Amino acid sequence: MKKGYTLEILAVVAVVAFCGIFLYTSTLGGNAEFSGSDTVGSERVSELSGIPLEEFHPLIPQWEPPSGEVESGLFALQAAIGGIVVGWVFGYWKGQAAGNR
Amino acid sequence: MHIMEGFLPLEWAAFWWAVAIPCLVFGIYQLRRTLSADREALPLLGVTGGFIFILSSLKLPSVTGSCSHPTGTGLSAVCFGPFVTSVVCAIVLLFQSLFLAHGGLSTLGANIVSMGVVGPFAGWVVYRALRDTRVSLPLTIFLSCAIADLLTYVVTSLELALAYPAGVGGVVSSFVLFLGIFAITQVPLAIVEGIVLALVFKYIVSLKPEILVRLRVFPEEKIRAAGGGVQ
Repeated sequence: MKKGYTLEILAVVAVVAFCGIFLYTSTLGGNAEFSGSDTVGSERVSELSGIPLEEFHPLIPQWEPPSGEVESGLFALQAAIGGIVVGWVFGYWKGQAAGNR
Repeated sequence: MHIMEGFLPLEWAAFWWAVAIPCLVFGIYQLRRTLSADREALPLLGVTGGFIFILSSLKLPSVTGSCSHPTGTGLSAVCFGPFVTSVVCAIVLLFQSLFLAHGGLSTLGANIVSMGVVGPFAGWVVYRALRDTRVSLPLTIFLSCAIADLLTYVVTSLELALAYPAGVGGVVSSFVLFLGIFAITQVPLAIVEGIVLALVFKYIVSLKPEILVRLRVFPEEKIRAAGGGVQ
């Protein structure tokens, strides 16, 4: 194991700075809505093409989460699947290393 | 970076599907070959793929006043190459288009090309260029991951610009317009993602350096220098 926690410290600083910048800019009182850049992109498409947003119809019918609650739940599920796999593998490797000792 | 369902004209949707499919086929072939040569590569694929699942579900607010999410594709591109990464991304993007209405089935091809093909490919090029130089391992990972993330959004901008050229200035001016939405929002996210994934890679190196040596991800001396005790 390499000694020193330079990367850990850097990561914490980066995450804290990121949150700090967000807190600072969001209290400036601008009219930032923090909507998804996907949504903003779609609005620009509508402006460029001169077609109102409502006129864009899915080419292939699509199921949409009925509410933000359901959507955030499904996003959490996605993250949880990833987290479980990552945790399982790190544990597996840790166990292998302990078994070899 | 998702292009929403219905927001690409049919011909462009079909074009990006045509680009994506050969990459996926080649990715599946590479994946089978890697896994049949070395079953111990599977847990590594789990970790790198797991981070794509986690990071691409985190929608973070950025300085431009809109939200975007990191991609997490850099690690997988470094360990397995861009095409295997395409396959993992296709799974994530399919999940998001079926259950979350983020991106759709017709625009899935375009989204796979940006997040799963060009982004990881750019990250992989950076990694290949730096692998055998004296640049340290964490810095290599940081740069690859940040570039893979950023390029994903540059490609999304390009895809939209090609389909919707501006009345004045054409493709170039609408490319700049979309870059302003996607790429600038993404810069801080790309930097944080690069640092976090470099940290994750440090843990992979310290826990399982053998697999990185066997897959020839990095030369053995470099892995040792980064703290991996190879037996």
